[in-house]
Amino acid sequence: MKRLISVAIWIVVAIIGAGALGGIAFHRGEPLNATWFVVAAACCYLVAYRFYSAFIAARLLALDDSRATPSERHDDGRDFVPTNKWILFGHHFAAIAGPGPLVGPTLAAQFGYLPGTLWLIAGAVFAGCVQDFIILFCSIRRDGKTLGEIAREEVSERGGFIAQIAVLAIMVILLGVVALVIVNALKSSPWATFTLAATIPIALLLGLYLRFLRPGRVLEASFIGVALVLFVVVAGQWVADSPSWAHVFTLSGVTLAFALIAYGFAASALPVWLLLAPRDYLSAFIKAGAIFSLAAGILLVRPQVLMPPLTRFIDGSGPVFAGKIFPFCFITIACGAISGFHSLISSGTTPKMILRESHARFIGYGAMLMESFVGVMAMIAACAMTPGVYFAINSPASIVGATSDAAAATISSWGYPLQAQTMTDLARAVGEQTLLNRAGGAPSLAVGMAQIFSSTIGGPRLLSIWYHFAIMFEALFILTVLDAGTRVGRFMVQELGGRVWKPFARTSWWPGILLSSALIVGAWGYFLYQGVVDPLGGINSLWPLFGISNQLLAAVALVVATTILLKMKRIRWIWLTLIPMAWLVIITMTASYQKIFDPNPRLGFLSYAKALAAQIAAGKIPAAKIADTQRVIFNQRLDAAVTAVLAAMIIVLIVEALMQWYRILSSDPKSVLHETAYVATRWPEDFSGASYAGVPVEPEAPAVEG
Amino acid sequence: MPSVEPAAQSHIEKRLTLAVTLWLKRWAATLWLGIREWCGDSAYERYVQAQRTSPGKSRLLTPTEFYIERMNRRYSRPNRCC
Repeated sequence: MKRLISVAIWIVVAIIGAGALGGIAFHRGEPLNATWFVVAAACCYLVAYRFYSAFIAARLLALDDSRATPSERHDDGRDFVPTNKWILFGHHFAAIAGPGPLVGPTLAAQFGYLPGTLWLIAGAVFAGCVQDFIILFCSIRRDGKTLGEIAREEVSERGGFIAQIAVLAIMVILLGVVALVIVNALKSSPWATFTLAATIPIALLLGLYLRFLRPGRVLEASFIGVALVLFVVVAGQWVADSPSWAHVFTLSGVTLAFALIAYGFAASALPVWLLLAPRDYLSAFIKAGAIFSLAAGILLVRPQVLMPPLTRFIDGSGPVFAGKIFPFCFITIACGAISGFHSLISSGTTPKMILRESHARFIGYGAMLMESFVGVMAMIAACAMTPGVYFAINSPASIVGATSDAAAATISSWGYPLQAQTMTDLARAVGEQTLLNRAGGAPSLAVGMAQIFSSTIGGPRLLSIWYHFAIMFEALFILTVLDAGTRVGRFMVQELGGRVWKPFARTSWWPGILLSSALIVGAWGYFLYQGVVDPLGGINSLWPLFGISNQLLAAVALVVATTILLKMKRIRWIWLTLIPMAWLVIITMTASYQKIFDPNPRLGFLSYAKALAAQIAAGKIPAAKIADTQRVIFNQRLDAAVTAVLAAMIIVLIVEALMQWYRILSSDPKSVLHETAYVATRWPEDFSGASYAGVPVEPEAPAVEG
Repeated sequence: MPSVEPAAQSHIEKRLTLAVTLWLKRWAATLWLGIREWCGDSAYERYVQAQRTSPGKSRLLTPTEFYIERMNRRYSRPNRCC
């Protein structure tokens, strides 16, 4: 009977989900309500989690709860800490969810709501969650080794090295592009700039509190910090209203870029407890709060989705970024559907804390479903505003014009009616001087969120507060990625440099710290600067570059996963990873080829460089601008080279993997599986890790000197 | 409808209130412990426990040392993603 009810419930969930999905896909005419999206996504996730992930857990991976996990065998209270399933889910989700699933869908909304939403759901269910889950499993079976180490052991020495370099490359591009998103959100906005700048002294204050006053009392410190941050969001308005202070915080793109570069350097070189860690706490709490309130806002307001299902820009002429729906929709939405970066979290950190193998399904597959849901919500927020407004915020000045009259005329001529007054009024309502040409996704998402929030609490009067709250939360997110990423990048540079010259790898040696920090900051700072001065708006060239590198890393992770599954003799179900891997290779290779060689100057790096060179030769560029133009030409060629190197690396890795697969399938004794040996667990079946929390502690013993 | 004795009714009420309070208390306690563990407040207690059950060679760190060391390790590997 119980079984019958359960079957009936799942049939109902599946029918509702299929109905909602069909409703979204075939709906034309009147605007659609956002509830359809929420229902479709939720039902798909439930069915996928209940059946597909269970199938992977049982058949493909054969998770074994009688096997002791690394956290049991190596429990040291530091890295290896047996952690309750729900708490680890919280850690893992906080680690994987960043600005990516918010920005990517917002940019991809230029194709209409349909392609992005379908890719977010299908990509997560069949590729992203599968990658996170399987890599987590592989790392659990290898004492929490990192993706690079696993690739070296299971694929080949060279494969591991490529994976390591790929990680560093994607990190640099990622940091450059997310920094550009902040710059585009903050430039000539004294309110937002003040708010974000004020979070730095707040973080320093918390750092000192946690270090000297109450060591390790994160919860209370974070409460103080969050209260202060909410206060500076409001206080930003007073700064923006005061003529003398507003002037100080009204910064140009280039100034902001240098400020961010200086910040990144400081955060990487200073002790972690002073700036980086407390900022991260602030960001984690605000992240959780903002995501929950966005979900609650969408459910309460149930906004109408005004964007059409498909726009005319699927042909590749989109103003936000150039490129056809295939492959660029799948490149633009990386995080939220599948993100290679997650494989770094799934290997290394989370596997050392997992309690049981079976928890990998909830944590690996489940957390990624949640991130995908964040992506769907971002898509709703972007599509809930008038398409004309969306394009006005996200298009660069070189395409729509720099004034609101010009922008309104251009965008209306595309068939998305917009009046110049609308943009001026909206900018005033959110407390900004202008909302035009703010490509990057953050401002348009903030407008969408502010419209949703203000129809729940406060009405139009609070629109400006909500807008700046949303901007602050996105910028805080991104700053966290920026400083944590710079520091990790610094360690990677030190490790690689240490192969050439030993002392460089010593993480406490000051010259090494400063040099490696400068190298990594200089690398992403260069991409950032290049994006800020790019006449086409840097997002057009840099976001696809980021998407390509992130998807390439995902392909690396899936190559590793497939190799391991082949070694485990799971040949019958190998297509579960093989198909997503092939799909990623196809989209990244197509996108790389088009970004390098396409004859359209907005799409192809080389043709843009050529077009600019021709303009100089024809004397169309004023003499004062020739040096700048030549720099743009150089940057385009650099971007083309970076894309080519990334693509070449994945091809080499695939060749390495194919050779390994051939050895496996021909039963070569040299290709062995490097799993740690089976050890039976000694924990009782119902052990949940909770008994550790709250044990009494002895008073602090004085530190022993020397 | 059979009427319930007033005394018996108040007894049932009492039992019910007690059960609900207990249940709420247990949930609140679990939630509180969960939040403390998620944000890292209980990390030191957890470390002391682990050191007691399987003592390592190094001496026990003080809360401040442990906190700094934990932060250093945590932010030396990818822990924040896009």
